[in-house]
Amino acid sequence: MRLLRLLSLRALGLLGVLVVVLFLLVLSLGATGFSDRILQARIGEDIRQIRAGLAETIRDPDQLEEALEARRTELEQAYGLDQAWYQRLPATVGRVARLDLGEAHTLRSFSGSRRIFDIVLERLPNTIVLLTTSLVITAAIGLYVGVRMATRPGTLTDRIVSYFSAVSYALPAWWVGILLILVFTFYLGVLPSGGMFSAPPPPGGFARFLDMLYHAVLPVMTLVLVGVGPYIYVVRTMTLNVAHEDHVTVARAKGLPEGVVTRTHILRVAAPPIVTGLLLGLAASLGGSILVETVFNWPGMGLLYFEAISGTPDESVIVALTFVYTLLYLITRLVLEVLYVFLDPRVRYD
Amino acid sequence: MIESPQRSRRNLLKEVWATGAGRAGVILSAFLALVAIYVLVTFPADFGPTRWSNPAIWADNPANAAPVWTQWFTSTDHAPHIVLEPGPGKIEEGETGVDIATFSMPFTFHADEPPAFLSISVGDVVFVDRPPSVAVSLHRPDGTEVSLYRHVVPGARQGETSPYSRYGEQPLRVVLGPEPETIEGARLLLEEEYGVTVATSRIQGRTEEVLFGRLRPDGQLVVLSGDYQLEVRATLHSPGDTVGSVGAVVGGTLFGVMGTDSLGRDLFQGLLFGLPVALLIGLLVSTLSTGIGASLGLISGYRGGKTDTLIQRAADVVTNIPVLPLLIFLVLIIGSKLWVILLVLVAFSWPGLTIVVRSMVLQIRDGAEVEAAKALGASSTRIIYRHVFPHLAPFILAQLIFFAPSAILAEASLSFLGLGDPSIPTWGQILEDGFRTGAVFLGYWWWVVPPGLAIVVTALAFMLLALGTEPAVSPRLRRTV
Repeated sequence: MRLLRLLSLRALGLLGVLVVVLFLLVLSLGATGFSDRILQARIGEDIRQIRAGLAETIRDPDQLEEALEARRTELEQAYGLDQAWYQRLPATVGRVARLDLGEAHTLRSFSGSRRIFDIVLERLPNTIVLLTTSLVITAAIGLYVGVRMATRPGTLTDRIVSYFSAVSYALPAWWVGILLILVFTFYLGVLPSGGMFSAPPPPGGFARFLDMLYHAVLPVMTLVLVGVGPYIYVVRTMTLNVAHEDHVTVARAKGLPEGVVTRTHILRVAAPPIVTGLLLGLAASLGGSILVETVFNWPGMGLLYFEAISGTPDESVIVALTFVYTLLYLITRLVLEVLYVFLDPRVRYD
Repeated sequence: MIESPQRSRRNLLKEVWATGAGRAGVILSAFLALVAIYVLVTFPADFGPTRWSNPAIWADNPANAAPVWTQWFTSTDHAPHIVLEPGPGKIEEGETGVDIATFSMPFTFHADEPPAFLSISVGDVVFVDRPPSVAVSLHRPDGTEVSLYRHVVPGARQGETSPYSRYGEQPLRVVLGPEPETIEGARLLLEEEYGVTVATSRIQGRTEEVLFGRLRPDGQLVVLSGDYQLEVRATLHSPGDTVGSVGAVVGGTLFGVMGTDSLGRDLFQGLLFGLPVALLIGLLVSTLSTGIGASLGLISGYRGGKTDTLIQRAADVVTNIPVLPLLIFLVLIIGSKLWVILLVLVAFSWPGLTIVVRSMVLQIRDGAEVEAAKALGASSTRIIYRHVFPHLAPFILAQLIFFAPSAILAEASLSFLGLGDPSIPTWGQILEDGFRTGAVFLGYWWWVVPPGLAIVVTALAFMLLALGTEPAVSPRLRRTV
C-alpha cells in the first residue's frame, strides 16, 4: 500500500511536469504572436487559391472581393482566429493532451496520411529501434568495462578509459556522426551515409532486415560512442564506492570467491545508481536523437521534428512532437521510479 | 566531512594544479583565453554582418579550397593562391593623341594543376570626355601573348556632368574563365601555337587549363610552369582620365590555415571568431545558472517551510523537462537571437544545483558553527553569507566550470539545426553550413572537422579544470547528470 502511494505520488509529480510543459507551449505560442502569424499566413494562402478558383466564375471585381471577404471571415472562424490566443490555444493543447494530435499542414506520412497521429506512429518505431539497440550495446560495454576498471583502479587502462570518458562527455553526438560519415562513407566507402533502407529496398523480410541493420550501423555507433564514456564512468565510480565498504571486506574475509563478491556484494548494492545512469542516458539520447537522426537522415521522430521546424514551421506538428517527446521522457522517468523501488529496498521503507 | 573554508580556499588552485587533469585544464584554458583576447582585440565586433556574411569580402578567394598545409602530405603540387596588385600604371603616349596606361603584374606559376580561376578587377575610373577602354592580356613563359578580355567603361549618362567617375564604390570584377572573349583567346592559342582547331564548347569550363597549359605531342594538356605576366592596358582619351586601382587574382586550390567554404570564406577567421563567442556562451550561461541555482538552493535549504517546498517542486518540474525539444521549440518561437538562446539555456539548467545545494545546506544548518553564530545573534543574511556559503563555495565554483561545456554544446546543437543567431557566426553554424551544403559527402573535411574539434577542445578544457577541482571538492557530491 505504502509502495502504491509512493509510486502514485511520483506519477502525480510527473503529470505536473506535463501540465507545466503544455502551459509553456500555449504561452510561448500565443504571447509571442507566433500562432496568429502562422494562421494568418495559412489563410492568406487559402484565399489566394480560392481567388484563382472564383475568378473563373465571378467576373465582376467588386462581387469577387465581396465573396472573398466572406470566405476569409469563414476561414478565420474555422481556424479560430476570431478568438484571442488564450481562448483558442488551450483548446488546441487540450486536444493534443488527449493524443488527438490534429493534422499536419505540409508533412505527410509515408502512406500519405496527413493525420499527425499516423505520422508519429509511423516514425516512433524507427526511433525506438535506434535508441534501444544503442542502449543495449552501451549497457553491455559500460557494465563490462566499468566493472573491470573498478577492480583495477589506477592502472594505465583505467586512466586511459577515464580520459576517454571525459572526452566522450565533451563530444557533440551529431559531430561524431559527421566524422563517421566522413570516414566510413567518404573515405572507406563501406557504409551508407544515411536513410534506413537502400533504394529500392531489397525484397523479402530477412533481406530487408539486414539492409536496415546495415544502415543502422553508423547511427547506433554514434549513439554508443557518445553514451558509453559517461556510462563507464558512472559504473566505475559507483562500483568503486561500494567496493570500499565494510560489508565487502567482510565478504572477502569469509573467503567468498571474488566472482560472488563482485556480483552479489558489490554490483547488487551499486545497481540502483547504475540503472539510473543508464535510463538517464536513454532520456538524454531521446533529445539527442533529433540531431543524430537529422545527420543520418533516419526517418524517426527526430528527423520529423527537424522537418517540421525547417522551412515554413508546421505549428501543429511541432506542438504535437514537443508533447510526444515530453510524454516519452516522462514515461522513461516513471519506469525509472518503478525500477528504483524494486532495486533499492530502502526506498520502500523510507 | 566539510573542510574549513579558509583551507579549501587557499589550496584550491594548488590542488587543481597538483592533479594531471587540472594542470592540463589550466594550460589549455589559459591558451584559449589568450587566443580569445587576441580575437577580441583584432576582430571588429560586427564581424558577423559586415565580414562573415558579406560575400564581397570573400569574392577573391577560391571556394572549397583545402588548407595550404595539406600540400605537405600530397605528392601533387597544388596551385598557389596569388593576389596581384600592380604599382601605379606606366603611362605611354599612344598614337592619335591617346594615352595608354599599362599595369603589368608578373607572377611565377609553378604547380601540377591549373589555377582554380583567374579574375581581374578595375576600380576608381575617372574620365573627362570619352570613356576609357580596358584590355587584359596574358604573357606566357613560352613567349606567347593571349588576349583575354576587353571592356569599355560605361559612358556619360543623361544629365551627368564631367568628370565622370565609375567603379568607385564597387570595383568592376570579372572572373575571366567563363567569358566568351577569354575562351576565344584560349581557342586561338591552341590554333596558332599548336595548330589544333577545337570548338569553343570543348574549352568551356577548362579555360584555365588551356591558358596555363602546354599541349604535348600526344594531345595531353599539361601545366606550363614558369614566369607569367598579366597585363591590363587602359586607353585614356583625355589628359585628366585616370584608372585608380587594378588588381588580379590567380585562384589557388589551397587557401589559408583552414581552407575555405563554398562561398570562399576563410574558415580560419570564422573559427577564431567562434572562440570568444563560445567562451562567452559557456561562461555567461554557467555563471547565471549556477548563480540562480545556488542562491535558490541556499534559500530553500536555510529557510525551509513553504519557501523550501515551492522551490523544490519547481526544481523537480524543471529537471524533468526534456531540454532539447523544448529548447528547439522556444528558440524557434521566440526567435534566433543569441540572448534568447542564452536565457532559455539558463532557465532550464539551474535546478540540478538547487537540489544538491539544498541538501548540503541542510547539513550545515544543523551544525555547530551555525548554532554558535545564531547564539551570538547573527542575522540570517550574515549566517548564510559568512557561515554557510563559504563551505559551499569550492563546490559551486566546480559546478560553474563543469556546467560551461553543456551550454557550449547546447548552443552548437541549436546552431546545427539552423536555429543559430545569424548575426553572430559560431562553430555550430559553420558546421551546419558544411553539412547542409554537402561538404561531408564531398570530403571537404577542413570545413566540418575543425569546428567540431574546436567545440570539443573548448569543452574539454572546462571539463579538465572541473576534474582538477575534484580532490578539493568532495567527489561524492558530483552530479551524475
